[in-house]
Amino acid sequence: MKIKKLAPVLFCLLVFLAAGRLLWAEARLDMSKAGVKGGNCAACHGQDKVLSKGHVDTKAMNWEACRACHTKDNLSLTGKLPNSHHHLLAGVGCIECHGKTKTPEELDMDKCVSCHGPTEGLAQKTKDIKPTNPHTSPHYGTDLDCNLCHHQHTRSEDFCGQCHSFNFKTP
Amino acid sequence: MKRAHGTINQSGSEVVNKELAKAREIGVKVQMRAKMERLIVNKDGRVVGIEVRKNYRFPDEKSGSAAFIKAKKAVVLASGGFSRDVRMRMIHDPRLTDRYESTNQPGATGEAILAACKAGAMDVQMDWIQLGPWTSPDEKGFGFVPLFCERLVGYGPMINPKTGKRFFKETGNRKERADAIILLGDPVIIMGDTYAVNKQVFPNALQKGMEVGAIKKFDTLEALAREYNIPVDAFLNEIKRWNGFVEKKKDDDFDCIIFKDARPVLEAPFYAARLWPKVHHTMGGLVINKDAQVMSLDFNPVKGLYAAGEATGGVHGAVRLGGVAMADCIVFGRVAGKNAAAEKAWS
Repeated sequence: MKIKKLAPVLFCLLVFLAAGRLLWAEARLDMSKAGVKGGNCAACHGQDKVLSKGHVDTKAMNWEACRACHTKDNLSLTGKLPNSHHHLLAGVGCIECHGKTKTPEELDMDKCVSCHGPTEGLAQKTKDIKPTNPHTSPHYGTDLDCNLCHHQHTRSEDFCGQCHSFNFKTP
Repeated sequence: MKRAHGTINQSGSEVVNKELAKAREIGVKVQMRAKMERLIVNKDGRVVGIEVRKNYRFPDEKSGSAAFIKAKKAVVLASGGFSRDVRMRMIHDPRLTDRYESTNQPGATGEAILAACKAGAMDVQMDWIQLGPWTSPDEKGFGFVPLFCERLVGYGPMINPKTGKRFFKETGNRKERADAIILLGDPVIIMGDTYAVNKQVFPNALQKGMEVGAIKKFDTLEALAREYNIPVDAFLNEIKRWNGFVEKKKDDDFDCIIFKDARPVLEAPFYAARLWPKVHHTMGGLVINKDAQVMSLDFNPVKGLYAAGEATGGVHGAVRLGGVAMADCIVFGRVAGKNAAAEKAWS
């Protein structure tokens, strides 16, 4: 009886876990794929079903095209797609950040700032975020390393969440 | 007692921010995300560098790769304490299981202290681990309740919810109070009335503590008792008793300091928060001499090794006073830095 009652819950859980697994498919950082367009999932992921069932073909899409359906409020991609994919879809590929190399190295936040601008400006942009501005703090001012929250090839995290309950949804 | 300077952001981090800014200004390379693995000692027993895991991502022990950093003159350990290292702190104080959270950042672990011990350093007072008796189990980290609790002691009572009665001197030191709460085995309550809270608690701390749900407001004492499953009659009698002590400015039960401007707990609404200790500071650590040299097991300095701050032991005694850890860091940090820089390079 109990099992029967639980079955739909377990099924949903399995689907959820499977979906999570697909969206966060194993990163295969292969610089030989450096020229691949962001929408061309199969070029790196092969036969893995990385998109939801019935999703439109993305092969020719860029970030702007994704945003036709995925907005901040509707079907948001926040936390669902590695940031490297956002970059790739926006035309910023492996080489733009890591340079021409077969063995990409971890990058300093200077690289982020070189395109996104100084962190003071970013803090100004996010000053109204509740419960508090994620880009400035009493501890670090605006100097906290971008990469402590915003990862590129793994899931981003809420670094403040180690000690605070701000519950930031980190892109 | 006046014993520390406040910083502009009311946190020790501002000291680090200023130091970092200066270091960057004079071209010091700051290597982030490098976990220290061991000290490297040459055949003469001199520390000549460290092995790290470069691009380490806490707490993934598989992340990063081995790298070596040569220290021409000396290594200065400023790695902090081990409040977040449950395994290590339980060796020294078996009470401190993972039931006790910490006010520290998650990287407050003890590897660097252990690495120094492996290189021949002596440790001291490792079981003198300080818990904050003013922290709340209803919020993360240090939180806001300490700013509520410490402003209210001497103005409002601490109550054991099981009995409805007080159980310890509210103005006692950190160790005595934390030990008393641990002995009870479950969280206790700190409370105050509107007069005390408005007078004593910074509005920002009160507001934020209430937003996260760690501080609660009640229209009546009965409602407060119900919220925390406190036996109502015993509680009301205890408040009456406390109010009597406040009137005569003398606590016959626990000798709590009752401040001159304290008033009986009468004015609604009433505010309360639960308290459960969190590990806050490890007074024990590496033995250093007045020159901040780390001492070895043969009572001589370990050549080329200095340490400062919470990684060291023997500076504060059993109950570190609030505010003086910064003085420890700055005084011995400066001594260590100057002496390390004055060492003769080994090659």
